[in-house]
Amino acid sequence: MLHHWSRRLFLAMSLAAMITPFVTKAETPVTVFAAASLKSALDELAATYADPVHISYGGSSTLARQIQHGAPADLFISANAAWMDVLEQDGLIVAASRRTLLTNRLVLIAGPDVDPDLTIEPGFDLAAALGQDHLAMALIDAVPAGIYGAAALRSLGVWEQVAHRVAQTDNVRAALMLVVLGEAPYGVVYATDAEASPDVRVVGMFPEGSHPPIRYPAAPITGANPAPAQAFLDFLLTPEAGEVFQKHGFGLPGDGA
Amino acid sequence: MSDWLGPAEWQALALSLWVSFFATLLSLPFGVFIAYALARWQFRGKHILNVLVHLPLILPPVVTGYLLLLTFGRQGAIGSWLYDNFGVILAFRWTGAVLAAAIMAFPLMVRSLRLAIEAVDPKLEQAAATLGAPRLWVFVTVTLPLILPGLIAGSVLAFAKAMGEFGATITFVSNIPGQTQTLPSAIYAFLQVPGGEGSALRLVVVSVVVAMGALLASEWLARRAVQRIAGS
Repeated sequence: MLHHWSRRLFLAMSLAAMITPFVTKAETPVTVFAAASLKSALDELAATYADPVHISYGGSSTLARQIQHGAPADLFISANAAWMDVLEQDGLIVAASRRTLLTNRLVLIAGPDVDPDLTIEPGFDLAAALGQDHLAMALIDAVPAGIYGAAALRSLGVWEQVAHRVAQTDNVRAALMLVVLGEAPYGVVYATDAEASPDVRVVGMFPEGSHPPIRYPAAPITGANPAPAQAFLDFLLTPEAGEVFQKHGFGLPGDGA
Repeated sequence: MSDWLGPAEWQALALSLWVSFFATLLSLPFGVFIAYALARWQFRGKHILNVLVHLPLILPPVVTGYLLLLTFGRQGAIGSWLYDNFGVILAFRWTGAVLAAAIMAFPLMVRSLRLAIEAVDPKLEQAAATLGAPRLWVFVTVTLPLILPGLIAGSVLAFAKAMGEFGATITFVSNIPGQTQTLPSAIYAFLQVPGGEGSALRLVVVSVVVAMGALLASEWLARRAVQRIAGS
């Protein structure tokens, strides 16, 4: 019985191995690993692309670790440069083809039941606005949105007053959710996240100089055939694709951002 | 050892132990009652209760955390009622972490207890009852000592599960150092940082040591309990 099954399994696997190269050659699909914040924009763009595009969304750090361990990605779009640098040092990306695809901004948002009377400026009284409630942010040591947010609040000189009231979430969309649900009156998220949710109000944008620039680097993964990845990256860099990204709230590196 | 873990890691470990202890303690009376009901009583909706108890085992933890946030959050039906009437806030507090861990660990505790209760010969309980002992007294003097090994095993399983709980906790009470940053949250945060593997691995070692210690302690306690039952 066992022999019977293992022989079948072997047959099925060798059959799959024989077919697979032909299937992939026929359509040249691109497998993209992309930061979760890109989902709505990239889905829209992938639908208009000639070849099939498979996109796996996740936290940039999770995706980078998967690529380190041999995940079959053709193109990586990260929400921060640090993880792209790590992959470049490991020789896992085509360094010469690395491009800064997009930029983003950081905003302070308020929930549906909050009447914000705040202006983002050095020393603004965020602590008083919070009272006994919490400020929702992504993990301040680990997730890019949280790292940028803490840097911005630090440079504005308000971090010390609010640090103990920060509720950290595992990704920036979870922080957005806490504000949408009214569990936290305020939150720090990307401009694109605020754009995606009609239930929150943008109190204001953090000044660009208050945190390191938010850039989304993209690069093909080193592999036998980087051409389809390069072609899709070139497509994302066209002005037409840029318009779609801008519609979703992203900035383009050419804007001087 | 104190150099080996930083103050933030010590805090996460202490908080995890504290939260898991209270989660186990809180779910124990409910666990015994529900396991007894499922094992011994016939009633309408028994199957539904059984499914409800096991739901946290099947649902993705993030979903359980989200449901907790919707019901026990400041704006949630139960959460706002608790705040209005008792001034109790669970969201973003260690008490909320206890609730999340308790609910996630509850199915494991009930399973162990139910098996232990079903293994007790009902004739022993009936004999005590015919001699005139009230129901609760029968439970305390006959059933409880007999299920003690199962109760210990269930509690330790629940404790270990509570120590490892992550998805529901971070969704419901987020990650606030000293309040809700448990060991798994700290491990997760370290894994997101380039070069954070070393710190993450140290915390993993600590988690494994705590879990193994708890399991060994429960084996030893359960064996002693069995010996006491056999000896008496």
